[in-house]
Amino acid sequence: MRFGFVLSEIGQGLRRNVSMVVSIILVTFLSLTFVGTAGLLQAQIGQMKNYWYDRAQVAIYLCTETSPGDACPQGEASADVKSTVEASLKDEALAAFVDKFYFEDHQAAFDKFQEQFAGNSVAKYVKAEQLNETFWVKVKDPEKSAVIVESFTGVAGVEEVRDQRSYLDQIFNILNAASIAAVGIASIMLASSVLLISTTIRLSAFSRRREIGIMRLVGASNFYIQLPFILEGVVAATVGSLLAGGAVIAIVQFFVQGYLATSMPLTSFVGLEDALLLAPGLLLAGVVLAAIASGFAIRRYLKI
Amino acid sequence: MISISNVTKLHKGSPRPALDNVSIEIDKGDFVFLVGASGSGKSTLLRLILREDVPSKGSIHVLGENLVAIPSRRVPQFRRKIGVVFQDFRLLPGKTVFQNVAFSLEVIGKSSAFISDAVPEVLKLVGLEEKADRLPGELSGGEQQRVALARAIVNKPAILLADEPTGNLDPNTSADIVNLLEKISQSGTTIVMATHDVGIVDRLKRRVIELKHGVIVRDDKKSGYETALPNTDQVQTIEPSGEQA
Repeated sequence: MRFGFVLSEIGQGLRRNVSMVVSIILVTFLSLTFVGTAGLLQAQIGQMKNYWYDRAQVAIYLCTETSPGDACPQGEASADVKSTVEASLKDEALAAFVDKFYFEDHQAAFDKFQEQFAGNSVAKYVKAEQLNETFWVKVKDPEKSAVIVESFTGVAGVEEVRDQRSYLDQIFNILNAASIAAVGIASIMLASSVLLISTTIRLSAFSRRREIGIMRLVGASNFYIQLPFILEGVVAATVGSLLAGGAVIAIVQFFVQGYLATSMPLTSFVGLEDALLLAPGLLLAGVVLAAIASGFAIRRYLKI
Repeated sequence: MISISNVTKLHKGSPRPALDNVSIEIDKGDFVFLVGASGSGKSTLLRLILREDVPSKGSIHVLGENLVAIPSRRVPQFRRKIGVVFQDFRLLPGKTVFQNVAFSLEVIGKSSAFISDAVPEVLKLVGLEEKADRLPGELSGGEQQRVALARAIVNKPAILLADEPTGNLDPNTSADIVNLLEKISQSGTTIVMATHDVGIVDRLKRRVIELKHGVIVRDDKKSGYETALPNTDQVQTIEPSGEQA
């Protein structure tokens, strides 16, 4: 095996098809960047789930004077209602599920509202008694929060029981859909990069058909004839996947950590270590895909 | 060395076989001319010996290999023992004379030490050691064919196949090439040469195998071109009426 010879053949092939090679690099770069972004989104969803599901609480909203009549026919929840709810939260039947709970009265709810909507005109019109008094329940196992929801839904004086996870799930669904869309776009682009690689290899083989003809005549092995072509595709795709890996790392470093994390300090975001874990995977995917595509193309083109 | 028995070759879409029940034995060191009109099956026969194609019927053994049964991964190794030259030389225009010859050794994995010994030696044999750095475009037709010959024999093949090697050359240059082939033959290489060149065949008085419509019509030891049958031009003019009958 003469590596110098194989290398010079690859170099020649790459130089002869510069524009095609550049397009392979760009298409693999873009498609793998999409794959990487989808991966980052999934990691982000996982991280947010861990973070928020731990903090998500079940809210038992008690009736106010302004609550709709069908849920709260008696109007404002009485002190009896509050002590009943509190008693059943402390009751043995629910103790297995309840980690801890606290009561938020009209004033506390009003203070929180003013803080959350500071500067918003709605803050001026809201009065303390319009805001629900609430039992905030932290459950032991977020997966079993439905027990609390079912226990208090429909109880007299309780307007609504809501698991905060249902809000989170909506956000996660959106993020999930975004990552599925990214994977969809990526797979279309990956398909086109596979086709592009096989076309390029075929062109490259065509432009070297004299050499190939002579190689076959003098008895060069198939492996020796095919290797430069396969490596040609692999080299181009490797450059593309390295760029994609770099792009994913840059996205995390400059966009996620540099911008998102500073503008939303309370949310935990994917870090550089996730991107560094993802980049070698992208490289491997690019190389394997290119090797298969160009190997298949050259095999179909060159028969003994 | 080359043993062809009852070989028939049918090409797709052609009702007439390119070779029809052909049997030939060629021994080591033989110098054989294949003659016949265009389309008589000479090139098909050479392609079968090189295992570029397989016969539809019959068997071919070359250098101890059964070419009908040889697995395709062994074909490259087999071809290393056979040299080929063509009418159109088939040199690489971007490589020098030296590089053209060296290429055929590089691609079968020979070491650079071997190449730097073997290439000058073979260029000296064909009389081109002075022009090793020239590109094919700068050479005459005869010189280009000598480069092609050098490439074909640099790996010391047991058999040399020549498909009308003088077809593009003037008579004097052709004679040079044939002298070179005789020289190669004297070193024990078996040579099978397909040709239309009457003068060469008549002058050398070697074995002549004549094909017509894929059938062997003559196989004479030490023969000339026109000893038994009318020459190719006449054969071609007779052909149409013969097919109508």
